[in-house]
Amino acid sequence: MKKQGLTSKIVLGLTLLFFYLPILYIIVFSFNSTRSLTSFGGFSLRWYEKMFSDSAMMEAVFYTVIIAVIATAVSTVVGTITAIGLSKSKKVVQQIVEGVNQLPVMNPDIVTAISLLIFFSAIAVKKGFFTMLLAHIMFCIPYVMLSVTPKLRSLDPNLIDAAMDLGATPFQALVKVIVPQIRPGIISGALIAFTMSFDDFIISYFVTGNGVQNISILVYTMSKRVNPSINALSTLMILLITFVLGVVNLVPILQARRGRKEGVTPMSRRSKAMIGAAVIVVGIVAVVVGMSFSGDRKKEDAIAKYGSDTMKLYITGEYLGEDVISNFEKQFGVDVIVEYFDSNEMMYTKLQAGDAYDVVIPSDYMIERLMQLDMLQPLDHSRLPNLENLSPAVQNLSFDPDNSYSVPYFWGSVGIVYNHENVDPKDVEEQGYGVLLNTDYAGQLYVYDSERDSFMMAFKNLGYSMNSDDPAEIQAAYEWLLQMNATMEPAYVTDEVIDGMINGYKDIAVVYSGDATVILDENEEMSFWMPMEGTNIWYDCMVVPKNAENPLLAHEFINYMLTYEAAYDNSEYVGYTSPHVEVEAEMSTSEDLYADNPAYMPRTGYEKDEVFTFNEAQKKALSELWIKVKAH
Amino acid sequence: MKRFRSMTYPYVVWIGIMIVIPMLLIMLYAFTVDGNDVSSFQFSFENFRRFVTDTVFMEVLGRSLYIAVITTVICVLLGYPVAYLIAQLPSQSNMLMILLITMPTWINMLVRTYAWMGILQDNGVLNTILGFFGIGPAHMLHTSFAVILGMVYNFIPFMILQIHTSLDKMDKNLLNAAADLGASKVQTFLRVTLPLSLPGVISGITLVFLPAVSSFFIPKLLGGGQYVLVGNIIETQFLTAGDWNFGSAISLIMALIIMFSMWLTNKVDVQPATSGKE
Repeated sequence: MKKQGLTSKIVLGLTLLFFYLPILYIIVFSFNSTRSLTSFGGFSLRWYEKMFSDSAMMEAVFYTVIIAVIATAVSTVVGTITAIGLSKSKKVVQQIVEGVNQLPVMNPDIVTAISLLIFFSAIAVKKGFFTMLLAHIMFCIPYVMLSVTPKLRSLDPNLIDAAMDLGATPFQALVKVIVPQIRPGIISGALIAFTMSFDDFIISYFVTGNGVQNISILVYTMSKRVNPSINALSTLMILLITFVLGVVNLVPILQARRGRKEGVTPMSRRSKAMIGAAVIVVGIVAVVVGMSFSGDRKKEDAIAKYGSDTMKLYITGEYLGEDVISNFEKQFGVDVIVEYFDSNEMMYTKLQAGDAYDVVIPSDYMIERLMQLDMLQPLDHSRLPNLENLSPAVQNLSFDPDNSYSVPYFWGSVGIVYNHENVDPKDVEEQGYGVLLNTDYAGQLYVYDSERDSFMMAFKNLGYSMNSDDPAEIQAAYEWLLQMNATMEPAYVTDEVIDGMINGYKDIAVVYSGDATVILDENEEMSFWMPMEGTNIWYDCMVVPKNAENPLLAHEFINYMLTYEAAYDNSEYVGYTSPHVEVEAEMSTSEDLYADNPAYMPRTGYEKDEVFTFNEAQKKALSELWIKVKAH
Repeated sequence: MKRFRSMTYPYVVWIGIMIVIPMLLIMLYAFTVDGNDVSSFQFSFENFRRFVTDTVFMEVLGRSLYIAVITTVICVLLGYPVAYLIAQLPSQSNMLMILLITMPTWINMLVRTYAWMGILQDNGVLNTILGFFGIGPAHMLHTSFAVILGMVYNFIPFMILQIHTSLDKMDKNLLNAAADLGASKVQTFLRVTLPLSLPGVISGITLVFLPAVSSFFIPKLLGGGQYVLVGNIIETQFLTAGDWNFGSAISLIMALIIMFSMWLTNKVDVQPATSGKE
């Protein structure tokens, strides 16, 4: 018996170790003084400071908790009631409801998400808190029922008859007989519902809008550059949960010691403690979030001037200077709601679904597409006097030469970052993108997981235009990529490449110039090279969609981003090249900034460099081929 | 009795609006081609033909099912003993263990998956620990091992909770009765405990297999972009390629396969219960 107890302890101990290894990791690295996620640079509280000053993060916590609590409560009650009713219904009804219930459980989240997105757009509800809550309730109920139904099946059907024979009303029979019998099922159903809601990312991402985001959305969109303050947030959450669990488990024990005579059952004490703890948690969250919401929200002046005091900005994650938004808010007495997208295509999906934003920042080819589809407003140049600050390098852009619809935000190129300790610079300089087929460096590659960027390398190395839609050239590029995939073991990544190269995990990476700037800044072993066979020059620009609600404020924002202060703040923090003529000059010449950094200033006027154009057929072909490359 | 039935009606209306109608919209997409325009309706099997005739897509489908099955099997094999051992504990520590296992799932899944990325890196925490024992460094990130590990880590709590619930609710007198009647521990387990806990195992399998087969985030982060599963293809169709029709068709195919495998699982579920009564 004793021996068995020991084995049991060891097994359970190992189980807990497995479950808590990542948690320990999160806690330790939340105190890291550097950004790195593998080496501990020393103890620091900087990520905690950053977290509390980040109002977006505080709001995300608020929405996550509130939605999880409401969705769990509603779905547990509705799910249990329905499951009980169903167990007494005709077989046909049971099968139909159970069948339909399987849909949200079995479908990939993304399908449920898209179906709801289409649905909410079709009935023209304003997306935000309410739609997100409805969606969460929708996908939580089936889980509750899945958990409750087996309990009901193993329940003796005569129990209810017995209760009612003894004079119980149906309601009493329900509450006093059935519910206690299936309580474990209800509790585990509620736990699963809470977890599902708390963790959900994809469905929330698609059905929300108007600046309402939960923690998952925040994490996903901020992951462009790993932000350890999310570890700080998680650590606080662990503390909070531990505290709650402590209260729930200790209070009944303490009370049991004191009040054995009172004759209260342990269960009711436990539920009281549970309720108490829940109240404490909601209270703490409310206070913390209330602090970040504080301040007078009515901004009369702004409303008089612009017709509204809030503006909605839609932008890639980690693409804004630290104080840019708060300075703009202060100066003009307005609020800015910032939402983040992961790719131009994701942004396009949201715009197509009818989501309204005032300013969006997509890339060149996507702007071309939006212009073709007549989804943008022409800009009023009389409201944009700072257009004169634009650097000559970003004037006369092919897709919008007169800035009729777009104003540059950042620009850059794509090049090769390599570790000059392990890679012969000659190889990179002579072979250009061909170095990605050089088996001396097999297993040492990071390549962007994006059909545009990878086909660009192949096209350029083969001497074609990267905008080619010639089937033979596309086939050749496809084979080039297949060869790379087969012989070089490349790692296809997105933004992890930044952290990966800073830490020197691999020797060669194809990256955007702004990311290269950051990598070179932090790791001296890295060098940057712009291949001689030509590369992609890109421009991300601010545009105002047709359905923008506050175009006046949007113009004010665009104009503000072209001021010296805003452009400086932005470029210094993010590392991408500024479209502001003075900022660009200062960044690229000042010793303290990026003068020694070959990645900051993209190459201009090189005839083999190109800008992407939009071509629906080519895009479709490439994206299908790219999946095939990766799947091989 | 009939009064209980009416408790189902509100939910029937709800699923009609929130589940059936949106799914019909998706089906509309799957059986049409060309753009996101619903007005020009043209019934077509083109999307399905494209998927079935392309070996690459079939390979990906096979790989996804394979990974999901492996994950589910591991979750049952590891989850069952753990749930069993927890159920043996006295009620106080029993409850505590369950809470301890649930707790990590309340930390955001993306954050935990990012943590595994840091742990599994070539110069990460795990390799440092292995280094102390003179092993490694082993290359773990961006391999099947990492993907399966990530899936097991994220989904096994559901398995443990489900099995534990059914074990916990079991009448302990049955075990004593079996022992009194001369059954050995192994016999008791095989003929009493196991059959009674099967419903929990089945719902555990459902809760693990389904997210595992359609997951796209875990393979993307832990497997790297080269680790393509069906979930990734669907995601790409909706978000990158913008081909909602094809994406909807793949989703339908997957839903059918999943429904079939669940139907199979449920058949297996019924058999031991009947054979137990022999």
